[in-house]
Amino acid sequence: MLLRNLKLYKVKSGLAPVVQICRLSSSIPLEDFPVGTVSEKQVKPERKSIVPSNCRYVYPEFLPDPKMQWRNPLREKLERMDMIQRRKHIDIPEFYVGTIMAVTSSNQHAPNKATRFVGICIQRLGCGLRANFTLRNVIKHIGTEMKYQLYDPTIQKIEVLRLEKRLDDELLYLRDAPNEYSTFDENMEAEYLPEGSPIPVNTTMVKLKPRPWRARWERKNMKGLADLELPERFYKRAEELATPWEKYDLMKQYRRTIPEEEQKEIFAEVYSELHEVNVMRKKQKRKKVFIKPFKN
Amino acid sequence: MNQAEISQLVSKLRIRINPRHKNLKNPEGPQGRLKKLRKTLTALFKYERLELNYTLADETRGYAERLISEAIRHGDTHKATMEMADYWIEEKQLIHKLFKVLAPRFSDYKTSYTMLYRAPKAYPDIVYPRSIIELRGNPFPPILSQKLDQRNFIHNVLLEEAKKAYRAEKYEQITKSLGEQPKVEVSDK
Repeated sequence: MLLRNLKLYKVKSGLAPVVQICRLSSSIPLEDFPVGTVSEKQVKPERKSIVPSNCRYVYPEFLPDPKMQWRNPLREKLERMDMIQRRKHIDIPEFYVGTIMAVTSSNQHAPNKATRFVGICIQRLGCGLRANFTLRNVIKHIGTEMKYQLYDPTIQKIEVLRLEKRLDDELLYLRDAPNEYSTFDENMEAEYLPEGSPIPVNTTMVKLKPRPWRARWERKNMKGLADLELPERFYKRAEELATPWEKYDLMKQYRRTIPEEEQKEIFAEVYSELHEVNVMRKKQKRKKVFIKPFKN
Repeated sequence: MNQAEISQLVSKLRIRINPRHKNLKNPEGPQGRLKKLRKTLTALFKYERLELNYTLADETRGYAERLISEAIRHGDTHKATMEMADYWIEEKQLIHKLFKVLAPRFSDYKTSYTMLYRAPKAYPDIVYPRSIIELRGNPFPPILSQKLDQRNFIHNVLLEEAKKAYRAEKYEQITKSLGEQPKVEVSDK
């Protein structure tokens, strides 16, 4: 019993007590101490990971660039730490391409030193600290786009007004669509989704303006585009240039993704802190709820 | 700056992977390249050991590993995996081999599923580096000669014993010489 207590003590405090234990243990016969218990204590039962499986959709920027020449585990880890630090300061909500958002960023030329931009997220690019997203809106009949770095310190607030997905991973074709597809009210109020509900998919089919376009959309296989109404030769050419074998190129796929084992490692490292931050934010929100009194 | 594709999860391969693919010179372009690879992959699953040019073998290896890992991961009821196997394996009876023989064989492996060896060049006929690719656990005799446990050879046993005896003798000598030396008193302060 005495020895067991001493052993525990040894684990708790550094080097000095080890010598003591050695001295004492010589006087106590070793048979008193069952050898099996040490190994039983050391072997931990495998714990189920608490990291949800949709982490890679919610926090895609935590996955590193899959390009092998650019990988650097130390840099990636440091970046992840910085990202969490930033997330402790401002709320970066879950959002997807197709989500309608409002970003308030510092602007020294604005009268109140900040600008708020509302728009639909049409693109999400990059990873790590360089992750960015583009918002699009039509302001005074002019299509306007703002590209924000997600972890930019000049951003003051990011709000999600309507959380939804579209059929495509990129909505750059909105640039060639009539203005009504990318017009959003600047004073739009946030719509809340009940917690745990699946992200709704907006299935609007976009009807483009007649050519010329910024890209040859008939070649891009976009799901959210209505019939393009092009002459037959365009579709023929698109068929000629299509690469249907690419979906079978297993190594090409592999080089573009981060394997599951690595993803698990990354999210196991990051998730507990992210979860803590989320819980803290929720508590703050509950405290701040304030209902404006109405005049009757 | 790229973003990792997240639409599907893949298992990690336990082989070294080149940062970029090799083109495998082909008049048909990338499609022809895959055709070539398909042929070698089918042959690899059929014969389990092939001698090839190093480049082709190295490229094929990745695809073979990926296909086996997909088969282990999803099994034969997964539609996409079956489609993939159907594309990559030209002789259709080998699809059964992939799911019923290879996947169970490799399911608890902690190493890669294939091996790649450098083979000698037959100078001056063949100038390209040659190699041998094989599936692990194949029925053929091993390529590298197995290391024998030479410790139990009789001469090694005898030499070991001789060493021990020599050492014991030396220690005895040392202890004797220590006993003869006069004692030096050490005073503590």
